[in-house]
Amino acid sequence: MRYKIIIHTMFVVMALCLINLPAYADDKYLDIQEVKTETGITAWLVEDHSVPIIAMNFAFENAGAKNDPTDKQGLTRLASNTMDEGAGDIKSQEFQKLLRDLSITLSFGASRDHFSGTFKTLTQNKEKAFELLKLALTAPRFDEEPVGRMRAANQSRIKASMADPDWIAARIQNDVIFEGHPYALNSGGTLSSLDAITPDDLRTFHKRLGKNNLIIAVAGDISADELRTRIDSVFGSLPVVEQNESAVFEMKNEGKTYLYEQDIPQTMIEISQPGIGRSDKDYYAAKIMNFILGESGFGSRLMEEIREKRGLTYGIYSYLRDYEDTDIMHVSTSTVNESVPEMIKLIRQEWIKMQSSPVTDTELMDAKSYIIGSLPLALTSTDAIASTMLSMQLDDLPVDYLDHRAEKFDAVTVLDIQNVAKRLLNDKKWTVVLVGQPNGVESPVTIKDIPNVE
Amino acid sequence: MKKITFFTLAVLAMPLPIQAAIARDATTPKAETAATQEKVFNAQSFMLDNGMQVVVVENNRVPVITHMVWYRAGAADEPRGKSGIAHFLEHLMFKGQEHEKLGSLEPGEFSRIVRSLGGQDNAFTSQDFTAYYQTIASEHLERVMTMEAGRMRGINVPEKDFEAEKLVIQEERRQRTDNNPRAQMNEQIRDVLFTNHPYAIPVIGWMHEVFDLKWTDAHAFYDTYYAPNNAILIVSGDVKAQDVLEIAKRTYGLMKPTEIPERKRTTSPPFIAQTKVTLHHDTIKEPGFMRIYRAPSFRQDKKASLALQVLEDILGGGPTSRLYKSLVVDQKIATNASFSYSGTSWDDGTIGITATPAPGHSLDEVEEAIEEQLRVLIRDGITDEELKDSITRMQAEAIFARDSISGPAMIIGYSLVTGSTLDDIETWPSQIEAITKRDINLVTQKYINPDEPFHLPPVTGILLPAEQQAAEHNEKVK
Repeated sequence: MRYKIIIHTMFVVMALCLINLPAYADDKYLDIQEVKTETGITAWLVEDHSVPIIAMNFAFENAGAKNDPTDKQGLTRLASNTMDEGAGDIKSQEFQKLLRDLSITLSFGASRDHFSGTFKTLTQNKEKAFELLKLALTAPRFDEEPVGRMRAANQSRIKASMADPDWIAARIQNDVIFEGHPYALNSGGTLSSLDAITPDDLRTFHKRLGKNNLIIAVAGDISADELRTRIDSVFGSLPVVEQNESAVFEMKNEGKTYLYEQDIPQTMIEISQPGIGRSDKDYYAAKIMNFILGESGFGSRLMEEIREKRGLTYGIYSYLRDYEDTDIMHVSTSTVNESVPEMIKLIRQEWIKMQSSPVTDTELMDAKSYIIGSLPLALTSTDAIASTMLSMQLDDLPVDYLDHRAEKFDAVTVLDIQNVAKRLLNDKKWTVVLVGQPNGVESPVTIKDIPNVE
Repeated sequence: MKKITFFTLAVLAMPLPIQAAIARDATTPKAETAATQEKVFNAQSFMLDNGMQVVVVENNRVPVITHMVWYRAGAADEPRGKSGIAHFLEHLMFKGQEHEKLGSLEPGEFSRIVRSLGGQDNAFTSQDFTAYYQTIASEHLERVMTMEAGRMRGINVPEKDFEAEKLVIQEERRQRTDNNPRAQMNEQIRDVLFTNHPYAIPVIGWMHEVFDLKWTDAHAFYDTYYAPNNAILIVSGDVKAQDVLEIAKRTYGLMKPTEIPERKRTTSPPFIAQTKVTLHHDTIKEPGFMRIYRAPSFRQDKKASLALQVLEDILGGGPTSRLYKSLVVDQKIATNASFSYSGTSWDDGTIGITATPAPGHSLDEVEEAIEEQLRVLIRDGITDEELKDSITRMQAEAIFARDSISGPAMIIGYSLVTGSTLDDIETWPSQIEAITKRDINLVTQKYINPDEPFHLPPVTGILLPAEQQAAEHNEKVK
């Protein structure tokens, strides 16, 4: 089967030259079915029988690491490592052997906001695969042995990360910009907090998973009818859980520069400032502005000015992060110790330029063309399709969003971009984190110990 | 840790690091009867008059293609003293080009055009090859083929762009290696493991040699190796093979073949002493163990390479594999343990074993336990069940490998450019199925015997916290 995907690239170019053409009314970009089950769960499905593979991505919203107690940081992470280490009557090694021998992918992940899972199987192994998925979700064992093993592996990971300047910079950044919020904690745990987590804590964590905070996306070789039954069988017995309202949090420690000295030739540079939310009226303008500024890699203003013209870095990117409780804009780069002040000055110049003068028509057209035209690239495999659909649901987008996505980006004008740049970009609010031995940085706050690691 | 990968790409990506490892091809499992007769990708292959191979994998699920060109020229083909030039050239390929029929592009314009058409592009360099690719809506295939062909013989890089890019390469080296003690140690281990062979030299180059690279060095390498008869074109995705062939004739077909020098690489002398490389570093917080052996590549010895692929799955394929199960689950003397084999290289491949001692256990204990596992394996061999399960798992990977646009192009390119044939790739599942216990026991005895190493002894790498901490650690262990 071939997905009904319209290539929008040409359409966009035409639309910019002429007047907006009407969107195709009866042709869906991606044929997503909303499958509602008897127990009240809804899943999004793209049916495709051309490959004998079923892929499912799911998430429990707001069940992520932000719920972890301070003295048990890393709880959600450890749960994600141990939920596939034995369930029901099947112990850890036996469970893993079944997954491995049947080539079933089953893994769990923990972000600050959400707890998620990915699942993939060959059609021929689906009976056993769905059964193991159900067991892992509803009856994880959390036996002492695998919990201890995963705890030790995490502690080892943390120790190894302590040599990684990128990781150190990210750790400090989260600690300062999210000060006072659970986002500031170390979602991967600390050496001592991991020791404090018991199997009972993991069982308490498990109570965060309910059928009312669950979202599901499925792609591949399964019909809607079959999926309906499978979902009820796998997820139907999950309880209804209490859901926390997300609280609005404002980024902290604006305008400060932090330095962690490490004896390395190149300094890591992480810049944060307040961002913009997915539901903001200026979101699409901000996305395009950020694309032109630094998200696009080659061709972005930051990359052109700093890497291509001056050779000051191997890479520089800016990105917009939409957390449940706050929105942040980041810049991430690195340069030889001697060039740090110049680098920061150059990034600042691009901030000012974006506010003080409009982007060119070509920049705008190229950005729209990429953002709209590259959509099929996110749909080239069964699991990629499931992953795209899950992201849409996490962003609270409607099921027909992809059919209207192009219009939303198309509508953005040069003026919209300059306005959003004036509203959003603010170098006075930068929190800068440096790891390395930079020269000539004025009065930074010196960080002696990496926060929340021991 | 739980992801099974079949080989690691020792490559440098240009702007963004590409996925460090890709899953190897495999096929439909036996449940679907006679499936091992089925070809993995059903690729079609052609040869242009100028000697350029063209491979097409049709997959019309989404209107997207991946277009790749692989040159049989990598870091191990560099002249002595010019380390890093193959990779530097890869960067320069984005810095301007001109061709009388295929058009000219300014520095940076190649990627900007791909981007403005909704596509993504990148490139990467390894010891044996350099590859360039774009993933883009299928309607733009001719456009990217025209641009890619245009830079095969016509790059044109302004002086200022060359100098700026040299600084970028230095920043890349700092970021990848000089900022990272583990990477620095790996570089040194390879230098010892491949003494007097060009694989001893890092793809990114030694910093002091990179400083001195000249545009003429890059151009000389380019003139020597970038030619249609030294390249492979692969297109995967929503295309018809005949259409690709027609466009290829109009674009790549314009390039004249050149005489490519025969690949003659220096080889290693028969050292007899085992080498141990030890690094104490103040950012290292716990000891680490690694051991690297040389082993045959697929090109050098197909049978041994296939057996080593199965052995890799049995010894190192995830949390129920032998090494992890013994050291981490049962004995609990390590917090992780891995075994990997990389056979997709032109000359020798490698086998790597790594482990991290658990708190309270010493490096010696871990080393001893690993060697014990290898001795048991050499003495008793693998079991029938291990072999059967492993083959089933590996064959299941094929269906997953097909479920992608760029994956098949990557696997085929990587294999062809390191000396496999298309038939080797397409029939990989049945070749794996033909591997016997005896084949595996043979390679085990020959290549990972701790008491009688293969023609060169392995190199062991030891990572330790700074001196004082190390002493304390030893004290605690006692």
